[in-house]
Amino acid sequence: MHKYKETIMHGVFLLSACISVIAVITICIFLFANGIPAIAEIGVFDFLLGKNWKPLENQFGIFPMIVGSLYVTAGAILIGVPIGLLCAVYMAKFCPQKLYKILKPAIELMAGIPSIVYGFFGLMVIVPMMQNIAGGSGKSMLTASLLLGMMILPTIIGVAESAIRAVPECFYEGSLALGATAERSVFFATLPAAKTGIMAGVILGIGRAIGETMAVVMVCGNQSVMPKGLASGIRTLTANIVLEMGYAADLHRDALIATAVVLFVFILLINTLFSIIKNRSKD
Amino acid sequence: MKTRKIVQAAMALTLTTAMFTGCAGTNSSITVISREDGSGTRDAFTELMGILVDDTDNTVASAEISNSTSVVMQSVVGNKNAIGYISLGSLNDEVKAVSVDGVAATAENINDGSYQVARPFNIATKEDISELALDFVDYILSADGQAIIEEEGYISVSDAESYTSAGLTGTIVIAGSTSVAPVMEVLADEYKALNEGVTIEIQQTGSSAGMTSTIEGACDIGMASRDVKDSEIAEGLIPTVIGMDGIAVIVNHENAVENLTSEQIRGIYTGEITDWSEIQ
Repeated sequence: MHKYKETIMHGVFLLSACISVIAVITICIFLFANGIPAIAEIGVFDFLLGKNWKPLENQFGIFPMIVGSLYVTAGAILIGVPIGLLCAVYMAKFCPQKLYKILKPAIELMAGIPSIVYGFFGLMVIVPMMQNIAGGSGKSMLTASLLLGMMILPTIIGVAESAIRAVPECFYEGSLALGATAERSVFFATLPAAKTGIMAGVILGIGRAIGETMAVVMVCGNQSVMPKGLASGIRTLTANIVLEMGYAADLHRDALIATAVVLFVFILLINTLFSIIKNRSKD
Repeated sequence: MKTRKIVQAAMALTLTTAMFTGCAGTNSSITVISREDGSGTRDAFTELMGILVDDTDNTVASAEISNSTSVVMQSVVGNKNAIGYISLGSLNDEVKAVSVDGVAATAENINDGSYQVARPFNIATKEDISELALDFVDYILSADGQAIIEEEGYISVSDAESYTSAGLTGTIVIAGSTSVAPVMEVLADEYKALNEGVTIEIQQTGSSAGMTSTIEGACDIGMASRDVKDSEIAEGLIPTVIGMDGIAVIVNHENAVENLTSEQIRGIYTGEITDWSEIQ
């Protein structure tokens, strides 16, 4: 009887484990089965490097969106990483216990805010602010980068803080004993030792930024043209999909799924990079 | 050495900021706001305004794209140089609708044909539609249904007789355009009040998704705020026009412009007119 239960429960656990794998595989099959024929029909180079996205005229070039996604993500990293890293250092090393009790839940709350709320905040607060600073409509690459930079903060802070805390205290103490100041010890002894963990946090942040949809779509302007500068509007891969999916038909719809394939490949690359770095930190 | 680097970085930052503020200045350059490709509203607007010529959409590439009526409105509220277009049924006091060729955007003016910027609201069904769904379509086209369409700010298209309940029961699933859905909700509520034991489920998925679901049999009735495409009719859909909707051209309240001609609107949306000072 006891053994019977054991076998059943074994099966239950195995099934649970399988379901997530099956989900990933099903998504892969769906994406590639619908996307690859569309890419083939449009032509790989016309699709990936074409600069014109005019679905009604059968022009499906997503190069401006690829560039847009990369620019916005890079902008978000430039804004989010320094702030996030310094915040993590402060929280792990310098923060008084009382303040920490407020800071930590606040950052966790920040991670839980739905992205559409960030989007509304961006549209109502950051966009008008940008209109005054940079002129134009205020919906631009810079606005989207700012908003995304804010949104990836909790991810970066969370991972970086635990990476810093994981560094043995003797690094810090050893540095102090050699005569370095507390700040110098943190930045030149503890931080380099937590390098791989921090990198992992940054890469998770990149993953979040490139996949973010609802917030970006409201503040980036969504023009499907090559970006001309920080103050010009852009369209990201995710925005392209969500903007047009509701109304798309025929090849247009398949081209959007193909856009998702490209996005999926990006995410795959980022995740691979993440696991490589994570493995290296174990060695 | 380190300090120098920091100073350099600070200088670079100041310069970039200065660059931005520099190009701001006093401007009244128009922010053009459009809807996404494939949106029913955009299809109708570009066609009616002559922006769509020989199947080529000439909307200026720098136009901002929003994928919902509310974001278009919010963008116009927040930007005094913006211009956008929305369904007349969604218009409220937050923005100002301009007259087109001297005609105000009202239901009466659409009804008598003087306001030209209007489009059909369609529903699509398949040949083997259920008896209940057919009864609901009859209700929409009846005098009672059309009265509701008018009350909601749209324009009626049919002058059929009033509706009497056939006493059917069951479930109707409706999917499609987010523009048609609000009025469909009201129609469904009234229909349910007349027919006890009927459930109506309305899914807002967008025109094309609604058509696809109807073809696949996932819903009984599809809604589209555009004409039903030939490829969709070939798949067995039967389109029915249930009402007309005006498209309002909207600007910020701070904008002094009260009237635009069709040529001016076309000029703005094709990028020939880029500044409000060019408009008298």
